[in-house]
Amino acid sequence: MTAVPNLASALSRSRLLNGAAEWFLQYFLKPIGQILLFAVIAGSSISLLALAVGFVLQTDWHGIDILRVPARINLFEQVVRQLPNMLLDGITIGFVYAVIALGYTMVYGVLKFINFAHSEIFMMGAVVGYEVMIRLRDGQLLSELPPLVVIILMIGAAMLVCGAAAVVVERVAYKPLRGAPRLVPLISAIGVSFFLTDFVRAFQALNRNIFNMPYPTDLVPFFGARINIAEGLSTTNTTLIIIISAIIMLVGLNYFVNATKIGKAIRAVSQDQATASLMGINVNLMITITFMVGGALGGAAGVLYGLKTTNVTPYIGFIPGLKAFTAAVLGGIGNITGAVLGGLLLGMLEAFFSALLPYFPALGLGYSDIFAFAVLILVLLFRPTGLLGKKVDEKV
Amino acid sequence: MATQSLLQERASRLNWREALPTIFAILYVLIVFSLLRSLNRADLWFPTYSSILFPLFVFSPFIIFALKIPFALRAVLIAIIGLVLMPILGMQDSFYLELITQIAIFAAMAIGLNVVVGFAGLLDLGYVAFFAVGAYLWGIFTSNANTIVRISGAQAAPELFWLFLFLGVIAAAITGILLGLPVLRLRGDYLAIVTLGFGEIIRILVSNLSNISSNRRNPINITNGAQGLPGILSPPLPDFMFQAVESLTNSLGLPVNNVRAFTYQLFYYGLVLIVCALSALIAARLDNSPIGRAWTAIREDEVAAQAMGVPKVKMKLLAFALGASFAGAMGVIFAARNTFVSPESFSFIQSIFILAVVIVGGMGSIRGAIFGAAIVTLLNLQVLKNFSLQINALRNIDWVVPIIDFPIRNWPQQLEPARYERLVFGLLLIVMMIFRPSGLLPAKRRQLELQGERAERISEKELTADVAEIRPEDLLSAPAAIGEAKEAKAANAADIAEDLPADQPPTPGEGLPDEPKEKP
Amino acid sequence: MPLLEARGVTKRFGGLIAVQNVDYCIEPHTINAIIGPNGAGKTTFFNLMTGIYTPDEGRIIFDGKDITGLKPNRINQAGIARTFQNIRLFGAMTVIENCLVGMHRRLHVDWVQAILRPPAFNRQEREAQRRVEELLDFVGLRDKANEVAKNLPYGDQRRLELARALASEPKLLLLDEPTAGMNPQETAAAMQLFRAVRDEFGITVLLIEHDMRVVMGISERVTVLDYGQKIAEGSPEEVRRNPRVIEAYLGRGSAASYI
Repeated sequence: MTAVPNLASALSRSRLLNGAAEWFLQYFLKPIGQILLFAVIAGSSISLLALAVGFVLQTDWHGIDILRVPARINLFEQVVRQLPNMLLDGITIGFVYAVIALGYTMVYGVLKFINFAHSEIFMMGAVVGYEVMIRLRDGQLLSELPPLVVIILMIGAAMLVCGAAAVVVERVAYKPLRGAPRLVPLISAIGVSFFLTDFVRAFQALNRNIFNMPYPTDLVPFFGARINIAEGLSTTNTTLIIIISAIIMLVGLNYFVNATKIGKAIRAVSQDQATASLMGINVNLMITITFMVGGALGGAAGVLYGLKTTNVTPYIGFIPGLKAFTAAVLGGIGNITGAVLGGLLLGMLEAFFSALLPYFPALGLGYSDIFAFAVLILVLLFRPTGLLGKKVDEKV
Repeated sequence: MATQSLLQERASRLNWREALPTIFAILYVLIVFSLLRSLNRADLWFPTYSSILFPLFVFSPFIIFALKIPFALRAVLIAIIGLVLMPILGMQDSFYLELITQIAIFAAMAIGLNVVVGFAGLLDLGYVAFFAVGAYLWGIFTSNANTIVRISGAQAAPELFWLFLFLGVIAAAITGILLGLPVLRLRGDYLAIVTLGFGEIIRILVSNLSNISSNRRNPINITNGAQGLPGILSPPLPDFMFQAVESLTNSLGLPVNNVRAFTYQLFYYGLVLIVCALSALIAARLDNSPIGRAWTAIREDEVAAQAMGVPKVKMKLLAFALGASFAGAMGVIFAARNTFVSPESFSFIQSIFILAVVIVGGMGSIRGAIFGAAIVTLLNLQVLKNFSLQINALRNIDWVVPIIDFPIRNWPQQLEPARYERLVFGLLLIVMMIFRPSGLLPAKRRQLELQGERAERISEKELTADVAEIRPEDLLSAPAAIGEAKEAKAANAADIAEDLPADQPPTPGEGLPDEPKEKP
Repeated sequence: MPLLEARGVTKRFGGLIAVQNVDYCIEPHTINAIIGPNGAGKTTFFNLMTGIYTPDEGRIIFDGKDITGLKPNRINQAGIARTFQNIRLFGAMTVIENCLVGMHRRLHVDWVQAILRPPAFNRQEREAQRRVEELLDFVGLRDKANEVAKNLPYGDQRRLELARALASEPKLLLLDEPTAGMNPQETAAAMQLFRAVRDEFGITVLLIEHDMRVVMGISERVTVLDYGQKIAEGSPEEVRRNPRVIEAYLGRGSAASYI
């Protein structure tokens, strides 16, 4: 991790330092360094947790039957053996959660409202990715085009459709409710979420008469090709694609929010709508753009999620959506940096539980979703401002 | 004396013109009822007819209730509909009885949720968990699944149903308090999300607690997991009830195939009606008491309520416990009536279903909860289902839609209306929030009887004039007022600025805070 | 014996000391005022006395009982009622219901009784309503008893807040800028009302006020806070002549532009 600051200081000392280099440092190297730092923090804390749990539970706990592992299994050895894969899994899904979480956190930052429908926007992204892939296959293009072009087409289409969908949702279901008591838009958002689920379901029923939408990834050998990272640790190209695209999007969003005029205006709106509008900022436009950007990111995350799990249905949105919301809350809702940290932490936690739970006969994978809800509840109860959030007192 | 003469005067004025709506309402009920009676299940269009006529019939008590006639008369008319006409319809087609029982179950739960959401303003998205507590309490103790209870021989006798109904109330209330305790500090959307999390955790637990032992050969099964609990028992009914029902159906010329099953249906129908009526009575009385006022005060302004001496913790926990207890009672009844429960009956969508009932009816409104239950349940269990049935029936005869020439066999198999309940609830929630956030039958503020006269309403104009007027001398003497005035002006200006056309490019450079909040 | 006694009360928010080591006494049956420039810690002091904040240091004794750190509803039960600077009524409730909530602690509240409605319950409800009607008569809102609170004009909302506070039958009434935003006539009427609260109900009154006419007109004892500290105390005349007070209000440069 020390490499990044060193590089930075080296760059700053360099005589070649000019505007472009500074720009590159500010909006490219620094955010990437930060993301990697978060990945390392999340990874090392989960590794420590996993090792500690493995160490503590390898001895037989006669007192607590639920925590007992079958005698022939040495839990600590298993943990050590699985750790690299666990970390890789955690980072992959963590980046997907981070990208979804951005949508929640941006909208919350601007409107102070939980966009419950964001999970369905995410689901729509996965469905759009499926449609693009199927259409390419039907046009005999899927195996002809370079895989990277396929990915770009899928993500691009998903971003367009989902960005537009998020804007439509905002216009139809949220905008008329601005200024209403806080629960009113939340209930409307729950309604949108349910509506979109079945809307997409009905659409695909009419379109193809299907419910399950398996990605035809096996038609592109590139996706499944394995690369060896180290001895005993290999991964697929898909995993790398997910990680790299997520990082590109995170860096892009960072640039958008911090360096562009619109991004600054959005930040101003999230600080104080009235003042921002007095300064000549078109608040409604900024809110629309926020939804558009959040929706586009959600859609892209949907494609990545679809590539990872390869089976998509109209009902896949709820659980990842809730986990991404948990990630946003964990990092500090309204805080973009926090969403990335929260997403990575949550992804790691999920990988940790999925890896460990099967060893306990009394538990099993059925419980793997409980952790996300538990984290959500614990954070909201004990630190509602999240890891990176600030405390706000109500004025009496 | 004066009131007596007043009554006499009113009675004499009750002429035919005033009786007209009543007559129409009674005619309406009779017509709908006889049309329903004349329906034939074998008819090709039966699903469509029945899903139009039965809702019309279900709405008839509400129409009667809205009449401006003495309460006793309305009560008698509604009782005739509920206790005479409805059972007769049930003899003809027991599905009607099933539907109305479901409506009453959801109405009681909606009333319970109303206590939490409507009265106390605590949005609970995991309400169905309390329903699950009641249902699983009775289910675990009487199911024929191989649960720990059955293996250890601790099963409950069916006679204990009434005890368990009571225990279900208690257990749900305790769960309500246990879930309520940690979330006391949370408000609004965070509370909603946490309750959602709790509800999901309970569902996950219920679907996984089929083995809590490390020994795979000797599993400790509590809930029978995702398969659910089959063979749940009903309470025994005395023999004379079966005989009475049999002779009654025979004498009416409507013999039913299975007297036993039908008697149970009638029994559950009566039971849920009683529980529903009790829930409504309890909720209404609580609302109109110091407790209800304290709940509303907490909903409106927690800080002020506490400062006025309202014990926040106690009142919130009371709301959670009471709201949960209604669902607990209904859970026990639901398990016994259904003879089968599984984790699927307690998923998030069920919580949203009950929330939709409350929203459609009107938050805080008890009549609304019952009305909303009728609408939402009928939409879900009758209209959507019958739509599917109708399509299947038409598909079987290879029917073609006239005019547009659409052969119904081309209707996609995946587009089965019965499965699209989310679409309906979702639309209902959105439409209600945008156009009628207070519901179809909104809660009314109680008007208390005073000796004095009721003052007329202040017009909107007068009101704004009064607030906006800040005199210069006040500004001089009260620095605080300057702040207020400035704020008001700023808010005004902001409103105006927001209304400006969007063609102005944003000029963010000037108005930005120096320290950006987010720096990824 | 003083009705309320604060000893060395301190409250910090992060690095900011909002109230610093304040000793304060209120004698029964008096009208008292706390004044001070904006941000002097007056409202924070109110919030400390009513339990909305807990003091970091010091104790508050009310009516011979230590109320430091008690919950707001406990403090209300002990006999302190308050109004808020930015009116906080229960907007969706009617005028009479607002006052009935104020009476909450004086009623025997029991959910079993509320459901079963024994005669005692009905009697209590009728009695409560009668008392509230008297209070509404007193503040002049009787003819608006069934009006929804948020529809009331500003001045009536202030009066309703007063009636609601009185409904809890306090020994000490705290009024946070009760005449803010009122015109001179309304202010004069409000002053009459505050005096009547003391004279007719025997309630001790403590107010935060910016309007010097009100402060000088009705209060018997004035306390001046500045930067969270007590800088002066005494009769209105004494305080008016106190050089530190004049400096707090007029001195230190920019503050002078206010008056």
